Amino acid sequence: MGWEGFLLVVLLLIICVNSFNSLAFLTVENQVNLFVLSVEKIIIALIMTFIILNAEIDLSVASMMGLAACALGWMVESGTSTSTAIGLCLIIGLVGGAFNAYWITIVKLPSLVVTLAMLIGFRGLGRVLIEDRSIRVFPPWFENLGQQPILGPLPLSILIFLVLLVIAVVILQYTGFGRYVYVIGISQEVATYSGVRVARVKTILFMVSGLISALAGILFSARLGSVRGDMGLGFELDIITMVLLGGVSIFGGAGSIYGVILSILIVLYLRNGMSLSNVTGHIQTGVIGVILILSAMIPNIKSWLESIFDKKYAP
Amino acid sequence: MHKKIISILTVTALLFGATVMAHTIAKKGMRADLVLMPKFLGILVFDQANNGAQEAHKELGNPGKLEFLGPTPENSVAGQIEILTTATTQGQDGIMISNNAGDQIAPAAKAARAKGMTVVTWDSPIPSADGEQLFIAQVDFNETGMVMADMALNIIGPGGGEFAVLSATPDAANQNAWNASMKEHLKDPKYSKIKLVDLVYGDDQSEKSYNQALALVDKYPNLKLIMAPTTVGIAAAAKAMQDEGMCDQVKVSGLGLPAEMVSYTLNGCAPEFALWSFVDLGYLSYYATYMMATGQIEGVAGETFKAGRMGYYTIEKDPTRDKGLRVKMGPFSVYNKDNVEAASK
Repeated sequence: MGWEGFLLVVLLLIICVNSFNSLAFLTVENQVNLFVLSVEKIIIALIMTFIILNAEIDLSVASMMGLAACALGWMVESGTSTSTAIGLCLIIGLVGGAFNAYWITIVKLPSLVVTLAMLIGFRGLGRVLIEDRSIRVFPPWFENLGQQPILGPLPLSILIFLVLLVIAVVILQYTGFGRYVYVIGISQEVATYSGVRVARVKTILFMVSGLISALAGILFSARLGSVRGDMGLGFELDIITMVLLGGVSIFGGAGSIYGVILSILIVLYLRNGMSLSNVTGHIQTGVIGVILILSAMIPNIKSWLESIFDKKYAP
Repeated sequence: MHKKIISILTVTALLFGATVMAHTIAKKGMRADLVLMPKFLGILVFDQANNGAQEAHKELGNPGKLEFLGPTPENSVAGQIEILTTATTQGQDGIMISNNAGDQIAPAAKAARAKGMTVVTWDSPIPSADGEQLFIAQVDFNETGMVMADMALNIIGPGGGEFAVLSATPDAANQNAWNASMKEHLKDPKYSKIKLVDLVYGDDQSEKSYNQALALVDKYPNLKLIMAPTTVGIAAAAKAMQDEGMCDQVKVSGLGLPAEMVSYTLNGCAPEFALWSFVDLGYLSYYATYMMATGQIEGVAGETFKAGRMGYYTIEKDPTRDKGLRVKMGPFSVYNKDNVEAASK
């Protein structure tokens, strides 16, 4: 049984416990709500999967979310039309991603360092734009977009997530670009000597990461109806947690998008189940932490057991 | 003659009846599942409010549940929205929110209202009042500003000098209203000698507030006073001044808990501060929410209800917000070296 199989068992277990614990769990309303409450994070988790598979990391995603949200609020407040401002914010995302990519692929600095700097930089820029204020200037259509269902019970943000999910699966599993992402993750030297344009792949990934993060920031603004400087603060850790719990190796090259989908479901269902049982705050954080530690330990225990087994019965 | 007496009696009875109807007294034992939500967990005053609400819960014999649910400090905004949304899904009958999410919680509050849930705020309201039926105000927000200005004048003295405000978060509607009202009062010539030089935020976290207090002292060498209208901020600022041995130059004042401030008041770091009872605030919030959730009052302006041991309260338009209704609790207690020890026990 692989990691995905293990996650599937855990997921089914959580669904069973939740269903028995609360009548509300399986209602459509609750199912939609639990995704809506975290939709910005899980959208970014998709692109983060690509980046970690590529043996890189992008710590600046949540700050880019905040920057896009602040820039949106600031522009609309200064009289720009909301639709123009949305377009400009997406461009900010692309430019921010390209900036990250420049330092990583051309100057060849580690992505951990570059994006850590931008975690601070983007956040700072956002705070400069709107300072310590909370801005509530959006037209009703924009707020409705974030809050009202548009297809059945599903709001726009969930539909965007589903579309991006399909695109992510197709690219990663069925295209040459997807294979390059894995190959570079396994060994950058081998990829380079095999003629893979490593810098180009990385640049595309970081630019898309910036773009998606800005999109998430815009969706977040629409959902909450107002913006302020601390939006999305600390989200990068939740996002990276989901990807790693999904079995993607932090050293790159190993893991699958299916594992990440399962881990997203596990984290969301676990949180929702605890909320419905009125478990709050610190205990929730603690439980998720323990699950993570276990998830990191189990593969090690498995290989440790295998090594004992091999020694005993080796010919 | 008899007729006359009877008619007088009838009129009196009618008047009396009308008065009783206008002053609703809570019917006990009705069922309502309620949630009390603080800004976040781990703050003493919110635990005190919970004690007050639990007291009222028992007193009213509500067979439903009263849950005290809050987010962690680092996840306050998203956490409050999540708890409100989950409470709506669970079909809770009412929620009492000390709002830390500004207007960002309004969409979730409107969704809760659409499901028939009673939404009451206490301690800190929803600024736009969207999705909120009633706000239980601890004191008149305008009065808070005046008390802050008066304490500043009192501590700095007639000679005058500079002072700064150390507030909680930029989106705490109560803090913003108090600071704005204090600035209004400062325009009075009476306060012309004291000068407000800065307003910074410590996010209601001890460490950040402590550092902000130190930063203020570095930035303004002539600073005479730090005014922190938050129980976390005032204690952190007082500790910072005490640790640096600066209590002679820079005093601390604001809104604080006697139990947390007693040593700083006695050693002169924080000679004077003010507060109201959070136990009473929780108690009153519970009474109002229980009566609204069980349909005993509607929550409209002009209604008067009796909140147990605290007596009668009337719902009125909130003068500090364009929309929105409030119930004003009050009053303020000002603490100094003469009364702080007794209050801290």
